[in-house]
Amino acid sequence: MSLLMEVLLGLSAIPPFLVIWRGPSLWDRVCGASSLTVRLALVLAAHAAFSGHGILLDVALSYAVLGFLGTVLVARFGERGER
Amino acid sequence: MRIFGEILLTLGLAFLWVGGLGMVRFRSPYVRLQVAGVADIGGAALFLLGLILREGWAATGGLTIVLLLFLLFTGPLATHAVAKSAFVRKIRD
Repeated sequence: MSLLMEVLLGLSAIPPFLVIWRGPSLWDRVCGASSLTVRLALVLAAHAAFSGHGILLDVALSYAVLGFLGTVLVARFGERGER
Repeated sequence: MRIFGEILLTLGLAFLWVGGLGMVRFRSPYVRLQVAGVADIGGAALFLLGLILREGWAATGGLTIVLLLFLLFTGPLATHAVAKSAFVRKIRD
């Protein structure tokens, strides 16, 4: 049951990959990258809770922070500047 | 408490899958931002609450609460930053 939930959660990271791959504009890709970061952090948290490796929660929190910073960085860069 | 946690986990997975389907199907960047923002925050909150209820407080610790609060606070910030960036550059639908 827990393995099935982890696999389903990991497979739900495929639609953001598709959006990043074929998004026509910069903002579609940034939106897909933000969503992908949240889903991968959730995969890490789920594996930490199910398998008992508590260190993975630290990795998930750091990954969420870095993903948020990257999203805001690319969005602020896209406000002015080249495409 | 365990079956309640599994119900919350399933609800969170359903939110995430519906959000992914909406992100692929819609074409406008604004609609994609709205779908992804709402579905990710709702799905992540339900999934992390389900994890805490299913595995107990001792197994997951308070870091899951910290991750949940961080996602709740920074998700709308990231969505607003991207939407304002697209609006300033006068992107149409």
